[in-house]
Amino acid sequence: MESASAEPALPLPFEDLAPFLDWALETERARIEKKVTASMGEVRSFYDAMMPRLKEILDYLESCFDQEMPPPDRRLFLLSLSLVEVSSLVELYRQRESIEACDPLRFLQF
Amino acid sequence: MKTSMQEKQWAEKYPDLGTAPLPAEPYISDEFFALERDLVFYRNWIIAGRVDEIPEAGDYFVRDVAICKASILVVRGSDGVVRSFHNVCSHRSNKLALDKRGSCAGGMYCHFHNWLYSDKGALLRVPDEENFFDFDKRDHGLKPVLTDTCAGFVFIHLHPEPAETLHDYLGGISDRLNDQHFHEMALMQTYGVTESANWKVGLDAQNELYHFPFQHRWISGDSLLMNDKKQCRYRDVTLYNYHSAWSCEYDPVSKPTPLKAALFKMNKKTRTSRLPRMIGDTELFTLFPNFEIVVMRVGGVMTSYLTYQFWPLTVDSTLWEIRIHFRKPQTARELLQQEYYKCITRDTLQEDTASHETVHKGLVSRANSHMILQDNEIAIRHFHKVLQDRVGLHLN
Repeated sequence: MESASAEPALPLPFEDLAPFLDWALETERARIEKKVTASMGEVRSFYDAMMPRLKEILDYLESCFDQEMPPPDRRLFLLSLSLVEVSSLVELYRQRESIEACDPLRFLQF
Repeated sequence: MKTSMQEKQWAEKYPDLGTAPLPAEPYISDEFFALERDLVFYRNWIIAGRVDEIPEAGDYFVRDVAICKASILVVRGSDGVVRSFHNVCSHRSNKLALDKRGSCAGGMYCHFHNWLYSDKGALLRVPDEENFFDFDKRDHGLKPVLTDTCAGFVFIHLHPEPAETLHDYLGGISDRLNDQHFHEMALMQTYGVTESANWKVGLDAQNELYHFPFQHRWISGDSLLMNDKKQCRYRDVTLYNYHSAWSCEYDPVSKPTPLKAALFKMNKKTRTSRLPRMIGDTELFTLFPNFEIVVMRVGGVMTSYLTYQFWPLTVDSTLWEIRIHFRKPQTARELLQQEYYKCITRDTLQEDTASHETVHKGLVSRANSHMILQDNEIAIRHFHKVLQDRVGLHLN
């Protein structure tokens, strides 16, 4: 009974994104840490799963924007933030070797 | 105004600056650093923050000026006036506010002996006051620091007798600042990074466009308008007495990434933003000594602004503080658009930090006695002329 009444992890139309829930991270620090420790294959799989759903996600989030989101909506929103976080690595650098930058966590001094 | 792509146009506009190489000594010399402390940071108007950080009576923030070993309390009084004080109790010099920001509506206590100050800096209450000698509370308020504002920025002057008012110090650039719509923007993110580099290395790097297509070639190097040799040009450069401003245009046909095209609903076939209302431009203001403001506009309307502040810690280390401001997002799409710009900006600046540090390593090696500047680096030339004038040391 308990499992039947349990809240879904993501809003129903997006349940197929559940394998990527480890990208639903609250803080910028956590999202950056995930980006730099995940394999390039994991980053690409996440990006490839999210991109075709972006329009649908944005339409869905519009209804709950700017208010307290229920946890499933909140996780979907956090997934979209992680998509933005990894986009420069996938779309611009394409490989980690192209990055000539300082350790990104150094920027989070405050 | 359209961007002219011709060469050597700014040295022609400002011939007095010359074209000679600049000395490397000011980046690495302990003596020069000591002069910067005494004659620049202690004796110029410097930005402490913004008035919109402290909207309510009693709101305060603390600004550390490490090079002068000063901690400054900036507070909005119950009368609405923004004032600054040394963040030091008048009794035994304990640090008063221990947080970076907060509210002292109703008064601020020193944690050492519970001395109480008002939000206007007056000493209100002293425990066991009768046990002091020839003591009058009115003589022992917080030590004030000269404070003034322009375009919502709070300026402080550590030396109690400034050579100029803020108005005179800013000169013509104050009108340019007042024309901007900073007050319509909200702070989205603050970054801070302690760099192993002299404070001027990063300031210089942000004050020129020449490096953009090279250093940032992956992340954002093609976003600015370039000539047929793939070089950026300023649309305008205006040098003021101590400060400078330059602007440039974004490339209206640079190809967006798939995520950017999706977030900004760009035309799927052309993936461009040819519509004039979507064409962007940017303007950078350098306020001597350590502040830069980058204003971003789309179709002439400000969409965001960044501020960079380079706080010298030692001759070889700097705290770079970066603040990113946007209009308050109205939709989830806008919020993600802002997140996109924030991440691209942050990643770009992390490339800059890496090169600030490798440049500084090169400077301290003394391999080069001078640095050679081209026409796109004229704002750096101007900054160093002002700096040498201020410290009264003219190096060749």
